[in-house]
Amino acid sequence: MGTRALQAQRQGVEVTGQNLANVNNPAYARQRLIMRASSSQSGSMGSQGTGVQAVSIQQLRDTLNDRQIRSETSVSGFLSRQQSALQNGQALLGETLQQDPQTGTITGVATSGSNGILSQVNNLFNSFQSLSTSPASQTARQSVLNASQELAARLRSASGRLSDLSGSLNDSITADTTKTNSLITDIADLNNQIVQAEAGTGSTANDLRDLRQQKLEGLSSLVDYNTADNPDGSVNITIGGNLLVSGGDVLDTLQTYDPGSGSLMLRTASTNTPVSLTGGSIQGAIEVRDGALKDLQSGLNSLARSLITEINQVHRSGYDLSGNTGADLLTGTSAANISVNAAIVADPRKLQASGDPTAAGDNQTALALARLSSQPITSLGQQTFAQQYTASVTSLGQALNSTNTRIDDQSIVQSMLLAQRDSVSGVSVDEEMTNMMKYQKAFEASARLVTTVSEMLDSVINLKR
Amino acid sequence: MRVTSNSFNNAVVDQLNRLSSKQYALQRQAATGQRIENPSDNPDATRQVLDLKTRLQTQGQYQNNISALSSQASAVYSAIQGVQRASNRAGEIAILADGTKSPDELKTYATEVNHLIEQAVQQGNTKFGDTYLFGGTKSDKPPYVLGHDAEGRPTNPTYQGNTNSAPTEISEGVSISIAPPAANSSGSGPRGLLADDRSGADLLKHLVSLRDHLLAGDTAAISSTDRPALSRDEDNILYHVADHGALTARLEAASTAATAQNQSVRKSISQQTDADLADTLVQLGSVQTAYQAALQSAAKLMGTSLMDYIR
Repeated sequence: MGTRALQAQRQGVEVTGQNLANVNNPAYARQRLIMRASSSQSGSMGSQGTGVQAVSIQQLRDTLNDRQIRSETSVSGFLSRQQSALQNGQALLGETLQQDPQTGTITGVATSGSNGILSQVNNLFNSFQSLSTSPASQTARQSVLNASQELAARLRSASGRLSDLSGSLNDSITADTTKTNSLITDIADLNNQIVQAEAGTGSTANDLRDLRQQKLEGLSSLVDYNTADNPDGSVNITIGGNLLVSGGDVLDTLQTYDPGSGSLMLRTASTNTPVSLTGGSIQGAIEVRDGALKDLQSGLNSLARSLITEINQVHRSGYDLSGNTGADLLTGTSAANISVNAAIVADPRKLQASGDPTAAGDNQTALALARLSSQPITSLGQQTFAQQYTASVTSLGQALNSTNTRIDDQSIVQSMLLAQRDSVSGVSVDEEMTNMMKYQKAFEASARLVTTVSEMLDSVINLKR
Repeated sequence: MRVTSNSFNNAVVDQLNRLSSKQYALQRQAATGQRIENPSDNPDATRQVLDLKTRLQTQGQYQNNISALSSQASAVYSAIQGVQRASNRAGEIAILADGTKSPDELKTYATEVNHLIEQAVQQGNTKFGDTYLFGGTKSDKPPYVLGHDAEGRPTNPTYQGNTNSAPTEISEGVSISIAPPAANSSGSGPRGLLADDRSGADLLKHLVSLRDHLLAGDTAAISSTDRPALSRDEDNILYHVADHGALTARLEAASTAATAQNQSVRKSISQQTDADLADTLVQLGSVQTAYQAALQSAAKLMGTSLMDYIR
């Protein structure tokens, strides 16, 4: 009886030691030694106790809480990927409001220190206005060309950076998919190990389960999935309706594919079934790429296209200083390739500002170009150029703003759930120290039992002397 | 609720993060004086500010147009004055050249009138920057070409400009043009400075005719035809002086209006974007207090454990 008691108390100290050692391991759930009175013997006096027995080591986990944390991790992963992409999108537009300390004027200042696209659009139309005050002036012509080149360069670089951003989102989707697949394999492996460790023993493989829970949480920041617990201790994983892990077997993995638009999507590797998700960083990247950023890109493109069409239409009807007509001022079809007609850049006299082939001082065309700035443009939904661009900027700002708010809310939910988990599964040093003293005292007492019994035996043996 | 060793740490980190980010935002507001910096800070206000910024830039351009027109206006005015001087002197000569003057005296007058013709043509061909002001929209060549006869006398002044004008916008939908064409024989459009059908003015032609009559000693013709013709020219020039005065006044009024509008737009922008400094600093103060309290309490709690009391 004494030996068993000593063993049980020693095991208690060991479990305490394990808990203390893992106090800073976030994946660890505290363990508790379950003791039971060992089976009694029935004798003439009735049943007689035989001491204590350490039955099992139990892990303290709240499975509901674990499940909630997994699903909230999916939401966080989804939102934070969107947030960082939108922040990049906002930064690359350079429409930051900064107050000019000298004049108190608000200017749009890009990270590079020069003006944003909106200012450039306004500058272009202002340069047409200046041209209309002196249509034959070389200086005014040159400044129109400078303003159009600057605007074109601005649009091209914003569009290029947006494509880069989409490209890097594609890269992150690919990288996340690889991570997902490796986690899926890890989880299936752990399933195997857990099944083997637990088979027939009736105990739980606590540390393996901790590890699996950690992997499952890692997986949920990438994708959202459903789990089903099997009686043998393994977990099945279903992603987007596809059963990928069944017990210890990986039935399928995920892969990215290009549906033709250059924007990577997700499908299962063996059956090529497109997978649609609702959470996780992969879906976050897909949605922000095909949502706010795509809208911004198409906003820039339609701005560029309308600028090219409308300005050229007016410019073509004008006459240059030599009376020539019909040339385009802008070339290209989108924000990615908008440019200024090289022939005009080379010779500003070819700018067609006049409405009269015989009069260089006529400014009808320059004035018509300048007036485009305040005209509602049909292809931009009856908005002016500046209004359309402002709308694009603010809708991106709106998207980022609401993502930020959701992330703030989400972090409150997440930290509440983690605090709950901590309260159930977390290790308390004070508690473990108390336990340690408790087991130590019990150990000492059990040892005293052994010595007492031994002294009693000595007394019996010494009776004969 | 059971609180474990790491509950404290996690909660403290969480709270400090939250307070730090509040401090960061408020400090930025205090340092920049702006409530809004990025579109995501306040999308609605950003939209308004960007719209206002566009208006500000457009108005700035109208102000630029107004000042460009103003400097053109002074060039136009000095040309009108030059023409007026020539016309006045010619009127005087037409009165002085009566029957009492000897042919030699008349010839001297004729020489002076030759100079007046050159002077008027020179004013008509005034260039501002690289544009001729009075050639209508044919601003790339001198409006008047003047021939000279064998004796070097100016003859046959021809207008090669047109009667169109190139109006400049001084505010939304309002445009004016400062320089009239030098000649308009079409009976419509802006009135010509030197020659205009409607007022019967044609200064150069009348000067040439005066000169010819002076040379011929035909004082009767001078008093019967040249004097009334020159007085029509004078009237026409007076019309232009008055018209120019009115245009300049309009420019000034437009400039004042633009400045006022500019200020009101700036004010609107500042209302949308400026941080209320007093409010920001008070908030910053209270967040700082909370931050310090969090640090202090955390330091106290995290330092103690059962370990301090067992030996």
